[in-house]
Amino acid sequence: MRANLTSHWLGRAAVALAGALSLGAHAQDSDLVARGRVVATAGDCAACHTSSPSRPYAGGRAIGSPMGNIYASNITPSDGHGIGGYTEQQFADALRKGINAKGQHLYPAMPYTAYAGISDEDMHALYAYFMQGVKADDNAVPETKLPFPYSMRWTMAGWNLLYLGDGIHPAAGSEDERVKRGHYLVDTLGHCSSCHSPRTFLMAEDSHAYLAGAKIDGWIAPNITSDSVSGIGAWSEDELATYLKTGHVKGKGQAGGGMAEAVEQSLSHLSDDDLHAMAAYLKTVKPIRDPNDTKAAFEYAGAAALPPLGEREPVRPDGAADPEALRLATTTDGATLYAGACASCHQPDGLGTQNQYFPSLSHNRAVGMSAPDNLVMAILHGIDRKGADAHVAMPAFGRDLTDAQVAAVATYVEQHFGYPDVNVSANIVADMRSGGPKPLLLRLTPYLMLGGVVIAALVLWLLAAMIRRRAATTARRRR
Amino acid sequence: MTTQYDADVVVIGSGALGSNAAYELAKQGRSVILLEAGSRIPRWKILENFRTSSRKANFNDPYPNEPWAHTSYDPEYLENTGSFNFRPGMLKLVGGTTWHWAAACWRYLPNDMKLNTLYGVGRDWPIEYDTLEPYYQQAEEALGVAGNGEEDQSGQGGKAWPPRSQPYPLPPDATTYMNQQLVKRLAPEGYHYIHEPNGRVTRPYDGRPACCGNNNCMPVCPIGAMYSGDMHATHAENAGAKLVTEATAYKLEKGAGNKIVAVHYRKADGTDARLTARYFVVAAHGLETPKLLLISDVANSSDQVGRNLMDHTGIGLLMIGDEPLWPGRGAVQQGGIFNWRDGDFRKQHSAVKHSMSNAVPNRTITERLLKQGVIGPELDERIRHDAARWIDVGTVFEMLPNPSNRVTPSTKKDALGIPMLRVNYDVDDYVKAGKEIAKKDYARFAKIFNAEVIEDESGWQNRDHIMGTVIMGSDPKTSVVNGDCRTHDHENLFLATTGVIPASGVINPTLTGVALSIRIADTINKEI
Repeated sequence: MRANLTSHWLGRAAVALAGALSLGAHAQDSDLVARGRVVATAGDCAACHTSSPSRPYAGGRAIGSPMGNIYASNITPSDGHGIGGYTEQQFADALRKGINAKGQHLYPAMPYTAYAGISDEDMHALYAYFMQGVKADDNAVPETKLPFPYSMRWTMAGWNLLYLGDGIHPAAGSEDERVKRGHYLVDTLGHCSSCHSPRTFLMAEDSHAYLAGAKIDGWIAPNITSDSVSGIGAWSEDELATYLKTGHVKGKGQAGGGMAEAVEQSLSHLSDDDLHAMAAYLKTVKPIRDPNDTKAAFEYAGAAALPPLGEREPVRPDGAADPEALRLATTTDGATLYAGACASCHQPDGLGTQNQYFPSLSHNRAVGMSAPDNLVMAILHGIDRKGADAHVAMPAFGRDLTDAQVAAVATYVEQHFGYPDVNVSANIVADMRSGGPKPLLLRLTPYLMLGGVVIAALVLWLLAAMIRRRAATTARRRR
Repeated sequence: MTTQYDADVVVIGSGALGSNAAYELAKQGRSVILLEAGSRIPRWKILENFRTSSRKANFNDPYPNEPWAHTSYDPEYLENTGSFNFRPGMLKLVGGTTWHWAAACWRYLPNDMKLNTLYGVGRDWPIEYDTLEPYYQQAEEALGVAGNGEEDQSGQGGKAWPPRSQPYPLPPDATTYMNQQLVKRLAPEGYHYIHEPNGRVTRPYDGRPACCGNNNCMPVCPIGAMYSGDMHATHAENAGAKLVTEATAYKLEKGAGNKIVAVHYRKADGTDARLTARYFVVAAHGLETPKLLLISDVANSSDQVGRNLMDHTGIGLLMIGDEPLWPGRGAVQQGGIFNWRDGDFRKQHSAVKHSMSNAVPNRTITERLLKQGVIGPELDERIRHDAARWIDVGTVFEMLPNPSNRVTPSTKKDALGIPMLRVNYDVDDYVKAGKEIAKKDYARFAKIFNAEVIEDESGWQNRDHIMGTVIMGSDPKTSVVNGDCRTHDHENLFLATTGVIPASGVINPTLTGVALSIRIADTINKEI
């Protein structure tokens, strides 16, 4: 049995009584609550359940899916609107089994297949934290209403039978205590593989390609296996821990998209010991190499020589004589666009500023990857990331540059500073504007519907749709 | 009977003021059409125009001066008939003139708004500071103002003033070495050097990166850390407002009950269109707004439209101090001296503000040295020497409203056949008396910094703060709008411009304009 069965009310009364009678017990409770806070941070509960920073865990954030919005629930101890009425067992069932106190199945936007591995000790602390360390908030969250057949929550049971496991990938070899801790943080609390592992046709994580990288919401969650070329094998443990803490490492790369959020909300708040444990574990993960890769992405620094200054910043036609030359922003010349949109921060030579507050585009994983996705996404949507050391932002250029202009400037950046063989097309940019290519299953859904495929398959498609960052599971076939 | 309208509200002008009004209305679910005479031009393009320009000191140069959307340095577009060449650096494009400003975001003092009651000169505002305060806060949050809420911004070294309901949304920028030294040397002489609250974000905010000190606030912030009105034009669009560019309003049409029923505009290609709405907000800046009213023959029963034109007409001091101060690090200005901001002296002479420029002075210095014939290695050495020690004081004076200082439609017409601008502007004795005070300060500054004075007789200078031209007041006989910025003559016509300001004080008026615009949106929203 994973959790004690003390009833909620008894439990609360006991806690209150202990708190009233004994200072020592109170201190223990505080320790427990503090430990629970660490677990909640490592599990990144706030990422979905906090919509406004001033109302932590009050829920309401809409998790987008092609089937409609799934609203993250209020998980404050509010009796009417939150989880104030949950017993510890009910709380544990929601986290580990995806079943709420009413007995309804949760949508797998809640990563219960990863949380299935949460230890009894952590679950106990987490419960104490949410009941005592979080302020009750009566925020009423909109009800999630997905269209048929996705409205049938009970169908989750079948999928769970297939994919709900023990929340942890088997260890590659023997693990010492530190690596074991890192493994737990990576797989169970951090649910890293929900983004970093590719999906099978049925959108379950491909256990043969554990942490080998995947596309998600237009971004590439890179290969973070220990492979020295395709993965993070060439990163030192210190570099990995620093990356998790701050979101950037000079000469390696910076976090954007969902990873920037993970750094901001969760990883930057973990202890250095835990971050090093995660790094140490990642260095033990079985290496997986993309056969097309010949050197690590961060090693690339472009191939083409920069155009001469006169070409990059020509003396323009006299604006007094031809105001149209100043007004029309139609050029698709990569060098011109780079000078206007990028060079102020990343510098004309692409090397960034001396302190790398504005990072170099050379020796930068996003630019050195063989696929331009992360570069294009950063250009379109910008970056906003609060790491442990600084809050940084790159503006979004999606509004100011057309698809063809993004393609031109991204190609210029790739060729001069990164992976030189990439040629970005306007079509790819257009795809990414709309959230990246859809999984095959989703694209086939209308046809499969027409073909009268059984409900069970529909359920799998539903899950496919749900699988976004945060809205994902560490689904694996039960052994 | 129900009337069909093209929109609940048409806002004319997509600068900081119009765009904030449009955004607030669209956010509340109102249908809004935002008209803009110029084009939408992305920042990267303006930056390219700046980089490739050979006239980098001309802040209008990177912006197109179209025959159908002029910028103000075109003498044909803005002609002067008075003793002073009144020529603010106005732009026509989405976002308006906040594309190039120094982003100073001061609030008026409560006393600034009671000038006549307290000091017997000029006019009072018809509303009090307390009425405006919540909107100041909203405006500061919209613009991302970084400020120090602990200082006495009235410049008397007293308690924090003016009163605030909330802290500044962002902490102030770090104090540059130059400003540290200025404070160190000015404070013992009794000068209160106050941090300037400004619309340059000190951390990422509203999609903008933090200011990194490019020191290029004018003519364009290269990274968008500094606020510009296009940001809220975009927010307004995202909230559902429709932005129509290259559309110059040329007529407000009157209808039954003295209401405005439509606005007529002309596209750059010469085609005309007419839009109806329940409410109209003219936010076409302090010269174009009165011009539109005058050529439409609306809102002018007081005969005050276009009159009472005020700038913070100023003077300047250039000197080379006795120690390296290294101007040019950080934003182009960081603070000023406000000892003469408020007091009984305002009965006799204008209030005075001195601000110390922190712009990189190398171009000015180099031009001066070249004129003196300095060349070769000595030129390099002198540039280094002078640029480190350069002290550039910009002084502004409080103006009083004077009906003969005015803007009228010119007889000259632009490519669309719409009259352009004619200004008549003189500086009065109230300001001239203030200048004498400023000159005494100049002599003291020179002494404090053991400075070689380069120039202390600059002549009157433009400060680009257009006020008074659609003046606010409680009496419809002597003013154009009431305290809500609603025209006395037309209940559904509001003016969102610093042109409503009836008492100029010495502070840059944009923040106040935005606060008033948000208040206009609030008023309209409650009535619809």
